[in-house]
Amino acid sequence: MSAAEPQGRGVALIVDDDPFIRKLIVTTLEDVAAFDLFEAGDGEQALEQAARHSPSLVFLDIDMPRLNGIDACRRLRALPATQAATIVMLTAAGPAQEVRAREAGADLFLTKPFSPLDLLQLVDELGGR
Amino acid sequence: MFDEREQLREEVTALRARVAAGDAEAEAKERQLERYAADLRETFKRERERAQALRRSYMATVRALSNAVEARDAYTGRHAERVAAYGLEVAHALGSELAENPEIEFGFLLHDIGKVAIPDAILYKPEPLSEQEQLLMQRHPVIGWEILREIDFLGEAKRVVRSHHERWDGAGYPDGLAGEEIPLAARVFAVADTLDALTTTRPYRTAAGLARAREIIGQAAGTQFDAQVVAAFASIGDESLERIRTGR
Repeated sequence: MSAAEPQGRGVALIVDDDPFIRKLIVTTLEDVAAFDLFEAGDGEQALEQAARHSPSLVFLDIDMPRLNGIDACRRLRALPATQAATIVMLTAAGPAQEVRAREAGADLFLTKPFSPLDLLQLVDELGGR
Repeated sequence: MFDEREQLREEVTALRARVAAGDAEAEAKERQLERYAADLRETFKRERERAQALRRSYMATVRALSNAVEARDAYTGRHAERVAAYGLEVAHALGSELAENPEIEFGFLLHDIGKVAIPDAILYKPEPLSEQEQLLMQRHPVIGWEILREIDFLGEAKRVVRSHHERWDGAGYPDGLAGEEIPLAARVFAVADTLDALTTTRPYRTAAGLARAREIIGQAAGTQFDAQVVAAFASIGDESLERIRTGR
């Protein structure tokens, strides 16, 4: 019975250079999950936001200007604020990219076009941790 | 010359209008997609709430059934609840996925439901049971299983009810299962049940201390109990067990 009970709010950070994808994720998740949602448009912004909000969950696009998702992931892992966060990579390409992302410290993957239902379930299972 | 410029201007205007129309169309599509996302979100929320409500009513139903058994057997008071809590603690210590399965707790709570069919004269008899009475008493796991058989949501729980008196060495009842033939949840339960029996006062004897209970259970590893389950049980600290025993 415990998994579905509210456990206090967490913070999730959504990082994608496409504002429309961010909007879709926010629209899908807002007030479903026990997370306050923040957005970033590239890797550099992601690091700034991460340091400010200490998210426990990060959705990270891979192909982004300035700092790409793989490098951002590695840097997030080095930050005390996001060292233990759950990092979910949003990937377009296949397994090769996943291997690199995993090496950089990613926990989970959603392949684009991702299933919004998978997204909802994933966030629901993670709860506010 | 003039005509050409005029024509060009018209073309540019037309092109701009088409781009603007395209932008508006794209924006409308985005908005439509966002509506889909929002509706999906609401549907998901509603479905999740229903699932939670359903789970709560399952739990309430199971507790009502379990209380019905308890109400009759005054001196075991809260036995089912304690055993369920011990059982979940052992399942956690085993690191088994079992602990996440709500059906298991249902099975722990309902393990003795078959006792509703056992006459008071046998159930409350302070003297040792005759062989015939013992045989009747030993039917309670199968009776319980039959009572619950048609309830789909109990799933694995029904196997706990049927197999909770099986022994690792095959000398238990009702099916004489041995080793891993016995469902893991029932093997876990067997340890929890014995722990509670030992640490609560019964009409025919006083309660043993936790240390003594640990000793007795430890000695039965590999015969009555699955040694792995006993090892998991042994790893649980006194405070957790004591909290369950005292109901705090």
